[in-house]
Order: sequence, then C-alpha cells, then structure tokens
Amino acid sequence: MKKIFTLDTLYTILAFLGSLIILGSIWQLVSILTKHEIPGPGPTWTVFKELMAEPFYDRGPNDKGIGNQLISSIGRVFSGFAIGTLIAIPLGLLMGSSKLMMRLFNPIVQILRPVSPLAWFPLGLLAFQAAEGATVFIIAITSLWPTLINTSFGVATIPSDHKNVGKAFGFSKWKYVTKIMLPFALPHIITGLRLSIGVAWLVIVAGEMLSGGVGIGFFVWDSWNGLSLEKILIAILIIGTVGLLLDKVFNAIQSMFAWENK
Amino acid sequence: MALTDHLSETLVESHINEKAKVTGAQNISTVNSIEVKDVTVSFKTKKGVYTAIKDINLSVKKGEIVSLIGHSGCGKSTLMNTISGMVTPSEGTVTANDNIVKGPGPDRGIVFQNYSLLPWLSVYKNIYEAVDSVLHNKTTSEKKQIVTDALAMVNLLPHKDKLPGQLSGGMKQRVAIARAFAISPKILLLDEPFGALDALTKGSMHIELLKLWNLDNRNKTIVMVTHDIEEAIFLSDRVVVINNGPAATIKEIVDVPLERPRNKKDIVHDPKYMEIHDRLLSLLFDKFSINDIH
Repeated sequence: MKKIFTLDTLYTILAFLGSLIILGSIWQLVSILTKHEIPGPGPTWTVFKELMAEPFYDRGPNDKGIGNQLISSIGRVFSGFAIGTLIAIPLGLLMGSSKLMMRLFNPIVQILRPVSPLAWFPLGLLAFQAAEGATVFIIAITSLWPTLINTSFGVATIPSDHKNVGKAFGFSKWKYVTKIMLPFALPHIITGLRLSIGVAWLVIVAGEMLSGGVGIGFFVWDSWNGLSLEKILIAILIIGTVGLLLDKVFNAIQSMFAWENK
Repeated sequence: MALTDHLSETLVESHINEKAKVTGAQNISTVNSIEVKDVTVSFKTKKGVYTAIKDINLSVKKGEIVSLIGHSGCGKSTLMNTISGMVTPSEGTVTANDNIVKGPGPDRGIVFQNYSLLPWLSVYKNIYEAVDSVLHNKTTSEKKQIVTDALAMVNLLPHKDKLPGQLSGGMKQRVAIARAFAISPKILLLDEPFGALDALTKGSMHIELLKLWNLDNRNKTIVMVTHDIEEAIFLSDRVVVINNGPAATIKEIVDVPLERPRNKKDIVHDPKYMEIHDRLLSLLFDKFSINDIH
C-alpha cells in the first residue's frame, strides 16, 4: 500500500516538473523567435530575484514593491467578491425557490451577465468618483453572476424526494430552509463562489490597468510603460499562481461541505 | 365475506375495549379509520387531462392492514397519496380519523419507496427533525427519548450517528419506518416500502413491520402499496386489486382471513393461502405460461 502511494506521488511530481519544462521550452522558443524582444526564462529570473529582494518597499503612492501591489489587489478582489456574494446568494435563493421571482429577474440576469467589466468602468467612476470604488464596483457586478446562477440552480433542482420529507412531516418554512433547502444547495453555492472568485481575479487585473494606483494590474501597465517586459512576464506568472491558489482554497472549502463523500 | 367482516369488526372492537380498560377512557371511535368516497384524481398535462383513478370507494377499519396491488402505473400510489394528503382528489373526499384529508398530517405517517432520508443528516437527526416538527409541543428531552426509543425498536441505535449513505438499503428503510412510527401516527402509509430491497431483506422486513405493529397492540391502521403478491397476502387483512390505468378503478377486494401471527414457512402450505394466491394471480395476470401467448 505504502509503495503504491509513493509511486503515485512520484508520478504527480514528475508530471508537474514535466509541465514546467514544457512551459519553459515554449517560452524560450518564443523568446528566440522574437529575437529576445520577449525575454526568455533566464533574464526574467534575474529581474525576479531583484523584485523579490525588496517586495514590500514603499516609496510613494505610485512606487511600491510587488508584494504591496499584490496585497492591495487581493484586498480589492475580496471586497468586490464579498459585495457580489451578498447580492448573489440571497437573490439566487429567491429566484430558485419562486417561479415568479425567476421570471421577473431572469431577463435582467441574462442581459447584464455578458457585459464586460470594462464597459461598467465609466459608470463606476461616475458613481463612486474614485478609481478605487469603481474597481471594486466592476468586480462585484461582474463576479456575482456565477454565484447567482449556481445558487438559483441549486435551489430550483431540489429533488422532490427531499421536498416530500418536508411536506410529509409538516416542516415549518424555517425548518425547510435550514434543513432541506440550504444543505442541498450548499455544494452548488460553493461551486458558484469558486467560479466567481476566478472571474473576480480576472477582472481585477483589467480594472487596475484602467484605474491606476496600487495593484498587480497597475504593476503590469506600469512595467509596460517602463518597457520592462521581464516584469510583465513575472506579473503574469504571479497572477496565474495566485489565481490557482484561490481556486484551490475554494476547492478545499467544497470538499469540507461535501457530505456525499463522507 | 359478511362473516369475516363481522369477525374483524369484533376483533377490532375487542382491541378498542381493551385499550379503553387500560386508559379508563370511553373510546367511542368510529370503526372506519379511513373513508375514500367517490374519489377521482385527474392531472393537467401538456396533452390534456389525465385521469389516474376514477370513482374509488374504499373503507379501511381501524387496526386493519390493507394492501393496494396492481401493475405499475395503475394509480395505486396516487390513491394512497390522496389518503396521505400529498395529492388532493379532483372529485370526492377522503376522511382519515374523522377528519377530511386536506394535506399531510401528524396522524398519518408516511414511508416512501425511496426511503427519502435527508442525506446530510445522521440517522438520529433524520428522525429527530421529524419528531421535532410533528410533536413540537413536547420538551426537548421528551423528543430525544422518542427518537432513541424509535431507533431501539428497529435495532439501529448503534448506527444513530451514521449518515444514510453509510447504510444498506434495508437499514435505510428501517430508519424510514422508525421515523414514521416515532411520530405515533394512527395511520401508517407505506408506498412500496420494500420495493428497492433484495428478496431476503424484504422477508425479514415483513416480520419486523408486523412486530412493530404488534408492539402497538395492532392499533395502527396500515395501508401499503405493493406489487408483490406474496407480500400482500402475508401482511394484509384485505388486498385491494386495482385495475390498470388510466381512470383506474378497484377491480376486486380479496379477503385474507388467515390467522395471526402468520408464519412464512407454514403459510404457503395453508389451502386458504393457496386459494387467495390463485385468486390474486388470476386477477393480475392473463398469461401463466408460454402456451398462453398466441
């Protein structure tokens, strides 16, 4: 048994290293093809070490270390995500449990959902007068849809078997919501949250590029202005890694609440 | 038929009188626990109106065990659902315990075909929530005691903290039965309760059900939907054969005047059993061998 476990993890590690090598090779190839206009892994690594030497430096409002930028972005993401969730979950529960509510709100959802966050940005600036508020706004309004849709789906698809238990034993509205509706919908809600945080993280980079200030998106734009392509590539890798970690966090939350596998 | 009717009435009455002696109360209950009067159930479908059952009239006496048997889709579950209150009849009324049935109620316990245990609640909590909902006037410690007793009755106390997903089919059904018994209903409605179980488990469940019924002095009226002839005969006092749908009616009601307690091994050698078994087979099947296929 122990042997099989070790073999399996060995394969996982090897596969991971394999994918890193493939990525690195494609990167190097692209670098060579663009005659090193796009820097290869080597020079990028050098710049990375420089950035990591002082990740949290602060020399003014527009000159901060990459660590600070990252933390600022993550903060904004969670604010927008939290606001979005506070709207999405109650509305989703309502829409899923009432056909009337679904009919009333679904057209609104279908129309607003495909709108790009960048289109919302000017409205956000107008409403909140500041880039900070606008950025949080566009994160909220763009990332709430997956949670909303998944929540309402979870509630709308409660099997009649479960509903019959509530009916047969005269469950009060409160008991129905807390013992049947929410426990059934919870895995769906968490799936929605997981998708939403992914969207939120995508949006922050775009939003920050437009708004300036402090953040990883701003860092990308600033590096472009400073013609440091290495920094851009580093930022891309960091953005990707943080996105991956966020996804893994929600994955873990999902497993925590999965009663099916217990 | 009249004689057996009279006999069962006398039996039931003696039970009631026994209970009256024990409780010291005057028990002037109607002998009919369930009355189905001219019941028709129709549904609106995309293709028009579908009538499931039509003009059903049925009386079930207190403490009687009655089976509803018929082919799949004949409407026997629909009929039982009008008694449980999960379905409202389009025409006619159903009276249970002297009240017109308007919806599910604490006086009628239901056991579903698919157990319908909430998968995220433990065995204990599944029963507790039902007890808490129906017997809401009792204190928490009383409720807890009822749950524990119910679990002990079906021998599942050691498994009380397990989730339904960790139980076998037979165990899940025992939890469902314990849950229905725990709310002390006067009427127990079982919708193909053993349909999803293997034949061996089914056999032991029959005996468990009868044991529980006996523990309560055979006071509970039980109506059971099944398509298992042997099960129907072994458990019931009467078997109601339903025609094929749509607009299904009662084909015939077959008496089962076999003495209790019934024994699974002995019963099959009883000539009365064989007669009843034959009758039900004739009512339900038209082909008995390959020679019958033209």
